[in-house]
Amino acid sequence: MLSSIQDLGRMDYLDQAIPVSGAMDQLSARIANKAVGNSDSDAVIEFTYAAAEFKAETEILIAYAGDGATLSVNGEKLQAERPIFIPSETVIKLVNNPDGARTYLAVAGGWNVPEVLGSNSTYLTAGFGGYGGRTLKAGDHLKSFLNLSESSSIILRELKGDKIKYLSWNIPKALLLPQDRKTIRVFPAKEFTWFDSQSIIGFLSDSFSIGLNSNRMGYHLEGNKINRVEKDELLSTAVFPGTIQVTGSGNLVLLMADCQTTGGYPRIAQVASVDLPLCAQLKPGNSIRFSEISKEEAEFLYIEREKELARLTLAINSRF
Amino acid sequence: MEAEISNPLIIKNFEIYSLSEQAVTLSFGKEISEVLAQQIRCFNHILHQNPFKGFKTTVPAYATLTVFFDPIIVFSADLEGISIFEKVSTFLNKLKTFKIDLSNYKGETITIPVYYGGDFGPDLDEVSLHTKLSKEEIIKIHSSVTYKVYMIGFVPGFPYLGGMDNRLTTPRKTHPRAIVPAGAVGIAGEQTGVYPLDTPGGWQIIGQTPAILFDAKREQPSLLKAGDEVVFKPITLKEFDHLLGK
Repeated sequence: MLSSIQDLGRMDYLDQAIPVSGAMDQLSARIANKAVGNSDSDAVIEFTYAAAEFKAETEILIAYAGDGATLSVNGEKLQAERPIFIPSETVIKLVNNPDGARTYLAVAGGWNVPEVLGSNSTYLTAGFGGYGGRTLKAGDHLKSFLNLSESSSIILRELKGDKIKYLSWNIPKALLLPQDRKTIRVFPAKEFTWFDSQSIIGFLSDSFSIGLNSNRMGYHLEGNKINRVEKDELLSTAVFPGTIQVTGSGNLVLLMADCQTTGGYPRIAQVASVDLPLCAQLKPGNSIRFSEISKEEAEFLYIEREKELARLTLAINSRF
Repeated sequence: MEAEISNPLIIKNFEIYSLSEQAVTLSFGKEISEVLAQQIRCFNHILHQNPFKGFKTTVPAYATLTVFFDPIIVFSADLEGISIFEKVSTFLNKLKTFKIDLSNYKGETITIPVYYGGDFGPDLDEVSLHTKLSKEEIIKIHSSVTYKVYMIGFVPGFPYLGGMDNRLTTPRKTHPRAIVPAGAVGIAGEQTGVYPLDTPGGWQIIGQTPAILFDAKREQPSLLKAGDEVVFKPITLKEFDHLLGK
């Protein structure tokens, strides 16, 4: 169980080897924020799996998204991807959702943690950001910012009362994602041709399973080995979340949010940004396949996804 | 009229490839060399002086400079090209024609005080055994060179230093330590470096610096940046304690 405060990460210190960090599944984090009228970059709680319980000491407006858990009150499930009014003294419990790994909880106004190096994201390895640079644990107190956006204030006014209340609409994440959530689209990386053709064909057709040794830094993928033909050593160079490296023993490593900023293993492919939220929901033992697209297609998908998200924001803002 | 440049550096050709939808990497060559490092440093400087719309940041490495940007801003920016990659590449290629005066552009030299040996340098004996040099000679050789910071990577604030005297080359430890303390100065193969954080590691630890290589509370969290020069200065235990504020 690992819960930490995250936002969309920090980019300005990559040259000092400070990772991007931020929510692993940025799509879910953004949807949770949008649903309460926040800005996409407000701080959210990232829960990995379930097994958490918290109490709202005051009345709050929340929303959650993601596939690691469902939220429930007295055994009753709370609806995801929409604003929910929670009266004070309500105890909310996370219940495991077998579909995925990570769930994001947004509160109107955003979680109030001090900004470190331009972001609210927790970076555990160096122990800074988020809630005291560490994961959340029992007994912690979290506050939200009190100044709400106009949309948040209107939603809150509409729902405020003495019991749990929802709005009738939601932001369906499923509509933004492909049906098949276990096929990850990738485009060839710089060292794609460093491997023999059999290995490349295998990479694009075999299935790989997520290893136990997987975390916010990256996933070890178990499957057929990738054979290298190019014997040149790669000088350490920049990598980024979504980079798939091939280790010296021919195994694949998929880099995720807290990955190092540079690496020396050859890179076979880069996961299309739009599919990183799918990767963020994978658990050890899950089996995935890779399918090749061009980098132009990856760019196109990125732009389309951002356009759709911008339309959602517009729709919410025009309604409230 | 262009101002007279006394010591111009001309940017050689580079290859551009896509790292992600939000980054391209410029590859200047395939070797570790001072010439490449200077090219990268200068081009990085030119880019920061002449950023494009949507430009975010760069990551210099041994032979590459990676340029990060906001794809949505680039996409709608008035830049030549159709795809985001094309728009950024065309812009960066044009920057090659810029000239830079080397006499005005130098990294900083940073002195890192080190207490060598004793409890702080548990592997000095092993390095001595391997290199067949006395501890005093190792300290003298290690602290008499000016090192170049080629890049920061691996963990926040970790410098990849170039310039170690070959006589000090020692393989990594057979059994890595579970924790190497922040500030530990070590040797691994032909490299030397300083650990900025408590991390597991297999380097041969020969000393310890009281200098803080990484502090998230500083405006520039990493003490060093690519392009800086580093000198290690031997200090006594008393000086070490004094520098630590004990």
